[in-house]
Amino acid sequence: MPELLLDIQGLETQFKTPDGIVHAVNGVSFGIKEGETLAVVGESGCGKSVTMLSVLRLIPSPPGKVTAGKALYQGKDLLTMSDEEIRHIRGAQIAMVFQDPMTSLNPVMTIGKQLMEPLQLHLGMDNNQATNRAIELLEMVGISEAKQHLKDYPHQFSGGMRQRVMIAMALSCNPQILIADEPTTALDVTIQAQIVELVKRLRNELGMTIIWITHDLGIVAGLAQRVLVMYGGYIIEESEVKELFANPSHPYTLGLIGSLPRIDDNDRSRLFSIEGMPPVLYTKPNACPFAPRCKYVMDRCWKENPTLEKIGPEHKVACFVDVKNGRNR
Amino acid sequence: MTTFIIRRLLLVPLLLFGVTIIIFMMLQLLSPVERSALYVRDFPKNEKAVDGIIRRYGLDKPFYEQYWRWLVGIKDPVSGERNGGILFGDLGYSRTASQPVNELIKNRFPNTLDLTIWTIAPMILVGIWLGVQSAIHHNGWFDQAARMFSIIGTSFPTFVFGLMLLMFFYANLGWFSPGRLTDDLMQVVNKPTFIKYTSLITFDALLNGRVDIFLDAISHMVMPIITLSYISWATFLRVTRSSMLETLRMEYVTTARAKGLPERDVIYKHAQPNAMIPVVTLAGFSVVGLLGGVTITETVFNYPGIGSAAARAAVNLDVVTVLGFAIFIGFILIVANLVTDVLYAVVDPRVRLS
Ligand SMILES: Nc1ncnc2c1ncn2[C@@H]1O[C@H](COP(=O)(O)OP(=O)(O)O)[C@@H](O)[C@H]1O
Ligand SMILES: [Mg+2]
Repeated sequence: MPELLLDIQGLETQFKTPDGIVHAVNGVSFGIKEGETLAVVGESGCGKSVTMLSVLRLIPSPPGKVTAGKALYQGKDLLTMSDEEIRHIRGAQIAMVFQDPMTSLNPVMTIGKQLMEPLQLHLGMDNNQATNRAIELLEMVGISEAKQHLKDYPHQFSGGMRQRVMIAMALSCNPQILIADEPTTALDVTIQAQIVELVKRLRNELGMTIIWITHDLGIVAGLAQRVLVMYGGYIIEESEVKELFANPSHPYTLGLIGSLPRIDDNDRSRLFSIEGMPPVLYTKPNACPFAPRCKYVMDRCWKENPTLEKIGPEHKVACFVDVKNGRNR
Repeated sequence: MTTFIIRRLLLVPLLLFGVTIIIFMMLQLLSPVERSALYVRDFPKNEKAVDGIIRRYGLDKPFYEQYWRWLVGIKDPVSGERNGGILFGDLGYSRTASQPVNELIKNRFPNTLDLTIWTIAPMILVGIWLGVQSAIHHNGWFDQAARMFSIIGTSFPTFVFGLMLLMFFYANLGWFSPGRLTDDLMQVVNKPTFIKYTSLITFDALLNGRVDIFLDAISHMVMPIITLSYISWATFLRVTRSSMLETLRMEYVTTARAKGLPERDVIYKHAQPNAMIPVVTLAGFSVVGLLGGVTITETVFNYPGIGSAAARAAVNLDVVTVLGFAIFIGFILIVANLVTDVLYAVVDPRVRLS
């Protein structure tokens, strides 16, 4: 048994568009150990979703294509196995929850039917067993009177309820890994907190490994053990979670942390955000992709794209600048 | 669902009122003499008789009075019989067919209905199938070929395509002929021993155990069916294809794949039911179009439906017949609309449960 449950190596994904080839993911490598919770952060458009969809081969193709890399799950490469093999992993061993619960459930199929599908598919349950299990699952995610709700359609549920259903569906076959792609972004703040609590509780009960994608560093602290920060399809910082907050080392991470609202701080002017937007890369850059927005930018940053280097026992960063003193590292 | 249907049903009288008013207004464009055909068979020749009829049936009265009479008819003062009255199904007398308009419809409509029923599958189901396959093989060779093929069909004027079929299948190969039935079989059908359960020849043939008549009836419908289908496929293909492509981009399709469902289930169980929602409307309109009588197709293939009868009436300026048909078709339209709405609710729970 390999040490890493999921081991991504040099993943690259591109999209063919009328304007040219979009380099969405550019050589991403990371691993996750069994039982660990890994957070992936970055603004919208940094390649977080595409990375995860690539791993499960869910990229729409055309226009998308995984052009390089490996995604080893329990030592087997998800990217080269047969369609049939990966089907038995999707939903059964690696499950996914998506960002917008308003669009991620099928509007013309009952909640019950959608919940029962993976149970019948992967666990070979008959109708009765699947119905009972679906009721259990709904109760597990905190939906009361579950039995009556089986016949409901998604539009009869609120956003929070739908996301609970999505989580129930994802966890229905007891997967090893849950990939949650910004599951709270589309929800109200109070509902967000409830969903985070729900996932934490279920993690303790069921003990799954979690990859939690978010653009909100605020959620990360109480949830994850390790954090990946993504920008322009690159991992630009990777760290143990406390270390990251104590010692953020990429100007981008610094910006993300700086833009967090603070409870003890009434002065709204300090709540700053990084100016500009993440790039859409039509060529592989030979400069740092963050350089145009960076406060610490140096000559070298325009000539070379920094690689991810170790700067501490559990800390890596891709930046030429030491943000503590603004000098070359 | 029940309240949904009731609400729709409550609309029906309103719609009927609208249809009758519009058609009545058109009738008002005719001279009182021409309008007399609403109530009497023979077009009077001498002027005195004409005046008598105009007075008797109030054809010179204000329009609201005439409208009312047109709806409920007029009691003949001598015999006490009711004349006219579209609410009682009396649509006037057809000069061109030499029979009452409702008799004409009774004779012709079953043929149109029969043709419609047998056209639904090739036209709609094949059209949808083409659209779904095109979407699945988006920009592949199937997509391109299907699009080319169906666009050619739409671009053909119906009568040109119809004549080509006649030349090929009737004149050259002799496989199919125009008309409704072979003469000797038509005689069998018209005998009292052939029981008319439904008035639809194909179904009656089967119910009477006459497979030969069934096959003969079908073979006479092959050319109209091909024509009607071919000219409609492009529309079905386009609507289904774009709806399907849009659906395939939806997040719930990715959810279905992420569950580990085989691609077949992703497409046919998750995507297609959603993609069908706009197609239902198109299918409803198309069936209404068929039921209203496909004038050109029926005329080209000499098929005795209401379309060819309407064409003959129109060419001979038999306005009462044409407007009688208009009322009938308006009625069909209302019923078909109701059916489409219900179907819509069946495919989309958001409509059903709101
Ligand atoms: N279907 C697609 N076609 C073209 N470009 C795409 C497509 N999906 C994603 N991209 C591009 O990939 C990049 C990363 O997107 P994504 O992974 O969705 O970002 P996020 O970090 O917000 O999840 C973006 O620049 C986006 O424009
Ligand atoms: Mg995303």
